[in-house]
Amino acid sequence: MLYQLALRNIWRNRRRTLLTLSAMIISSALLILALGIFSGMLRDMLASATEQYYGHLVISAKGYQDDRDMFRHFSMDKSIENVLKQDEITGYSQRLRSFGLLSHQQNSSPGEILGILPSQEQTVTSLQDSLLDGHYLTADDPNGAVLGSGLAQRLNVVPGDQLVFVTQAADGSIGNDLLLVQGIFSTGDIGYDNTLVLVPLAWLQQVLVLPGQIHEIAVKTDQPLNAAALAEQYRVNLPDALEILDWGEMLPQMREVVASYDISRMIIVTILYLATGLGILNTFFMAVMERTRELGVLMALGMRPGQIRTMIMLETAIMGSLGLLCGAVVGIALSLYMALVGVDLSGTLTPITYAGGTILPRLHAVIEPANILIPSVCLLIVSLLAGFLPANRAAKMQPVVAIREE
Amino acid sequence: MIFLSLLKILFLILIFLSGSVSFSLAVDLRELIRTVEQQYTGQSSISAVEMTVVTGHWERHLYMESWSLGRERFLIRILAPIKERGVATLKVENEVWNYLPKVDRVIRIPPSMMGGAWMGSHITNDDLVKANHIDQDYDFTLLEETNESWRIEGIPKPDAPVIWGKIIYQIFKEQLVPSQIDYFDEEGILVRQILFDDVQTVSGRTIPLKMTVVPLEKPKEKTVMHYRKLQFDVDLKKDFFSLGNLKGRR
Repeated sequence: MLYQLALRNIWRNRRRTLLTLSAMIISSALLILALGIFSGMLRDMLASATEQYYGHLVISAKGYQDDRDMFRHFSMDKSIENVLKQDEITGYSQRLRSFGLLSHQQNSSPGEILGILPSQEQTVTSLQDSLLDGHYLTADDPNGAVLGSGLAQRLNVVPGDQLVFVTQAADGSIGNDLLLVQGIFSTGDIGYDNTLVLVPLAWLQQVLVLPGQIHEIAVKTDQPLNAAALAEQYRVNLPDALEILDWGEMLPQMREVVASYDISRMIIVTILYLATGLGILNTFFMAVMERTRELGVLMALGMRPGQIRTMIMLETAIMGSLGLLCGAVVGIALSLYMALVGVDLSGTLTPITYAGGTILPRLHAVIEPANILIPSVCLLIVSLLAGFLPANRAAKMQPVVAIREE
Repeated sequence: MIFLSLLKILFLILIFLSGSVSFSLAVDLRELIRTVEQQYTGQSSISAVEMTVVTGHWERHLYMESWSLGRERFLIRILAPIKERGVATLKVENEVWNYLPKVDRVIRIPPSMMGGAWMGSHITNDDLVKANHIDQDYDFTLLEETNESWRIEGIPKPDAPVIWGKIIYQIFKEQLVPSQIDYFDEEGILVRQILFDDVQTVSGRTIPLKMTVVPLEKPKEKTVMHYRKLQFDVDLKKDFFSLGNLKGRR
């Protein structure tokens, strides 16, 4: 009976109800969309930080990642191979790294040379998807090079050109040899685009006089946000001289970004719902005030204060649920649009590199359960809170006073 | 020319000792430092050098021949070991090029790599370019004078494009040869020392034939340059210091 009364009350003043409902729907839908886009940016950043270069986990000799000392090298063995067989690992790449001078005709520039096996590297990083020109390294390429667009521009090379690489080899000699430019990539991250060169692993091992040696194994897993726990789990099975780091340890700023994301999400939700909550509170207050006489009559007819309160709370609960349902549907629809189509801002914005990750110039949403659940639950709580105050006031009224009120 | 500048130094020292002209002190020290910094090149020179580089991981011996003309021209080529025979460095004014015979390419060292090691030693490309300008880029004061030596401090001029925060020279008075040079970084921390040894008279000049560069942050490492042959005031023309000659095609 109370339920029916509440429903009727809601539909009695349609304009008021629709206004309140629309405030609920719009605020929750926009919040779902905003959080989705926010998550999308975070996902892009994390992906760019890990998939352009680091991977989710890196195995290297102890201390290597601190100073990148050429002499902290190791070679693949059975125990490492066993660790890499775990189910969560979707790919790994053996790498040898060197810093040196690259030169083409009159131009020269320092660079970071990464010796890789093309088939392995593609399972960890996605540079092959960022090629501007030429093609990626192939397995049987003896001296190919794929380099960043900024570096290619500075050296003035295009695919097909020769490059000289000079560095100090591990035996102290002057390691130098020719490379043939095969492809040019552009990630949007200046750090990589201006310095990074991928070359065949065997070529670099020969130039550095480090046969069979590598500096690190970059690993990709299917649980990037769980990488720290995986590192902990694999650590015990690795040789003592090696260490395994997750992306959070290599990119501590990125870990901060992820942590601060949860906090900023709560702040945004709080601010938006404080405003929405006040709006809802206002409408309900007015709705109860308007009906003071009517409520007085109801009480005079024998309705108990508790029932009055329940009735008004039911009204807000119904509107809240309706609002969140519609809001979630609209929000998901908007997020889906942004996830599938998105908005390209590359005409007005350039990529921003922050905390080791790149924020791409696009609005692109991802749909995460938390981003829908949090706004929905908060909306329900806010509308119940907003309904509670007027309901309480109505329940405390004296029937006689209420009826006489104009 | 060198002889003249030596005379000039002696002359200035005399003036200084007489105590009549104190403002000439700065000029005096500048000339002295200039002589020290150019002791191996002079107006022109040909030399044969053995370079030993010791690091924590390897030790190498390189045999090189070098030519110089004035402050601004310098060519050095590796003769041994065989693997690196023909690798050469040419410096003309502020530019440095390397030649790599294995790939038959000349590489210009970009400004950003000037701080890099030269031929894997503890000498940087910057040392090759800037050492000859030290007398112009620094202001000198006499810290200490004993019967045998001077201790002279060089502080960079405010706008000078230099890498050191302070340089202290220890110079023997009698022979006008350095015994030690200390290099300090901008925080005033001693980061590098060059020690001189094996003082001999060559072409009428007294110079230390052995020079040891010690990077203090890596205690086990050093680079020793030992001059095996040294000849001054030879007949060299500017066009000898060309990119063509860098490749060893004369």
